[in-house]
Amino acid sequence: MSTMAEDGFASHKRDPVKSSVGGVASQKRRQHAVAVRKERRESLVRAKRLCRVGSSGDDADTPLNNAMMVDEEESVLDAQAAAAVEELKSAVANQGKGAMQKVVGALRELRRVLSRTEFPPIEAALEAGAMPLLVHCLAFGSPDEQLLEAAWCLTNIAAGKPEETKALVPALPLLIAHLGEKSSSPVAEQCAWALGNVAGEGEELRNVLLSQGVLLPLARMMLPSKGSTVRTAAWALSNLIKGPDPKAATNLIRVDGILDAITRHLRKADEELATEVAWITVYLSALSNLATAMLVKSNVHELLLHRLATSTSLQLLIPLLRSLGNLVAGDSQTTSAIFMPGQEITGKCDNKYNIIGVLTKCLKSEHRVLKKEAAWVLSNVAAGSVEHKQLIYKSEAVIPLLLHLLSTAAFDVRKEVAYTIGNLCVAAASEQDSGRLSLILDHLVFLVEKGCLPGFIDLIRSADTEAAKLGLQFMEMVLRGMPNGEGPKLVEREDGIEAMERFQFHENEDLRNMANGLVDRYFGEDYGLDR
Amino acid sequence: MAMMVLDVDPKADSGFPCWNPVRRRFAPESPFFESGNIERELLAKQIALDLGEEEKHQLWRLLDEDCKDLFCPIVGCRARLTSLENFENHYNSQHAAACSVCYKVYPTSRLLSIHISEAHDSFFQAKVARGYPMYECLVEGCGLKFKSYKSRQRHLVDKHNFPSSYDFFKNKASHHPSKKAREKKIHRKQAATTDRREETEEEEEGTTSQKMDVEGEASVDSLTSALSNLTTGSTPSSVSFGRRNPRGLTFVPRSVHQRNTKKPEDSTPPP
Repeated sequence: MSTMAEDGFASHKRDPVKSSVGGVASQKRRQHAVAVRKERRESLVRAKRLCRVGSSGDDADTPLNNAMMVDEEESVLDAQAAAAVEELKSAVANQGKGAMQKVVGALRELRRVLSRTEFPPIEAALEAGAMPLLVHCLAFGSPDEQLLEAAWCLTNIAAGKPEETKALVPALPLLIAHLGEKSSSPVAEQCAWALGNVAGEGEELRNVLLSQGVLLPLARMMLPSKGSTVRTAAWALSNLIKGPDPKAATNLIRVDGILDAITRHLRKADEELATEVAWITVYLSALSNLATAMLVKSNVHELLLHRLATSTSLQLLIPLLRSLGNLVAGDSQTTSAIFMPGQEITGKCDNKYNIIGVLTKCLKSEHRVLKKEAAWVLSNVAAGSVEHKQLIYKSEAVIPLLLHLLSTAAFDVRKEVAYTIGNLCVAAASEQDSGRLSLILDHLVFLVEKGCLPGFIDLIRSADTEAAKLGLQFMEMVLRGMPNGEGPKLVEREDGIEAMERFQFHENEDLRNMANGLVDRYFGEDYGLDR
Repeated sequence: MAMMVLDVDPKADSGFPCWNPVRRRFAPESPFFESGNIERELLAKQIALDLGEEEKHQLWRLLDEDCKDLFCPIVGCRARLTSLENFENHYNSQHAAACSVCYKVYPTSRLLSIHISEAHDSFFQAKVARGYPMYECLVEGCGLKFKSYKSRQRHLVDKHNFPSSYDFFKNKASHHPSKKAREKKIHRKQAATTDRREETEEEEEGTTSQKMDVEGEASVDSLTSALSNLTTGSTPSSVSFGRRNPRGLTFVPRSVHQRNTKKPEDSTPPP
């Protein structure tokens, strides 16, 4: 098939030697571009954050935004880094007059090189010997400016790859020491930032920091009511307590004044600070039973609900929702404390401040993460008592929304919605006696009549085992429970039989047996004969 | 307010794991929370890095692909799926070979052709009756043939470790004949001895019969080309059937005879 473009190319003469050389260079460029893109992706999703603008904002140096650096630019930066480290080395060695100013000046230059781009020349700086120098510059009694610049350099080194973050180990005790109340605020904040990056690297480094006593001084930095220092400290703490070891979370909630600070910030702070504090409650509620109990006792769930109802910032909504979800997913004691009988159940169902109202708002959001996690929380509410199921069922807004999402939303959202709808249709007879299950026919019939069946059959066809199992389980309830033997007819009409027959050749034996069992039982030889 | 409730003990019911409504809890590092965690970091860096919406979308797409370790769950396929959404397309193009006679669907054209021989071919049955080993092993490359369905099944279990629930050509309830077919089957059962062949299906009356006419007049060319595809064993992507159109263009070997030739809307014109 000849195209215009091809005709155009026909007139070019190709020099075979030239094109092969060009091929190698362009291939190298492409490989480099792919590597940079991958590195960029990794750096974007890391729990570490580069510091590119000082908190005082006085620095005239505006950072550049070139995400795709070419080889030459990289090597220029590397050279600059090495040169800056050399400067610093000689400044530190110098004992004469004005030595301190020289040191600060050299540090500032190194800091600028490390803040200029998205991918600072960390490796080059480390290789030139930056670390021992920076540790030296953190010595007690050093002027604030020096401490600040040194901590800033360390922050950006720690924001890099794992081995680069690990290079900070010799500096950690000093960074922690400068968190103390005697330090100036900007210095403490910059040290907290560096430590937050280290904590964001992984469990090993988190444990090192915790054993060196970072928790208490950092927690104290969260007590004031406002300021960028509070926010940075809160973020660093969230990285520190994320586990999987629950010890740090439990120790944090024990710090004097912390619970009060958390609730205070959740109630009153601006959205940026509230966001970081909300992430702290995410980890507290996920990892520590003690923290969860204390939070619930302080009515933190009310604060979460209120903030969820009123905020529109996605950054804030995510951790608020997840904290709520962790609380709802907890043990029954916690859950019943959240659902205070008087308010939640007899009150108006569609009140925007109650849990159903808040979850409805999140389900309506355009953001996939919010929809998915809201559906997850709702599914856990639906897994509760019959009263809880009725709360959802009677809400005018939620049911149509769930049905709509089941057929139109992204896969991970649909799965959670399926859990919710299915949970609405069946009840465990009692908490202790979970062996006995009872179908709630009202709900099942209504939801099937409203057209939820195709959505479940779609899940049966999915390649995801968990989703396929959900679909089959819902199918079973329909086949067994729909009155007047309507179940099989409904399933057949929606091509449910075909969907189940696929499993004959499925590699998963459980699913195969489930599907075959249903087809055998409900679409056997007698099917179709009895009217 | 009275609510109809059906009491059921799930364990008594043939071992089917009934839906059990339980609360689900996830650890902070669970993959369930991964997308939320990523969103957190992207949002935090978004302003500092001037990350546009378009760029974010691209990033999400790449991230989704990165951690995808999804393979087609159909036995023997092992194709890597790029996304869950793509599975349906993959399935329809690779695993939806349907029999024109009884509408059963098979995941490969080889299995379909084996089914057609074994279930709808009187020539095949004749040879079986005369003692020839006609039942092929289902594992491609094995090559062994057996005199009975049962002995083939035994071979699959013994030599190829097939679980006994792998009954590919299972007779009962593997498809849903129309009400008319069932009635006829019961009637016929009373008259004749049982045999292993799958009953052919009565056409559904009405508009579909006209469709069959058109498709019945498929050109000889397309039939022979489809047939040659069959024998070379390649997966004919041109002859693929959506599950929603079981009466689409199909290939039917000339030796297939419809059992019930009374109706004029049979799919195979006599050769």
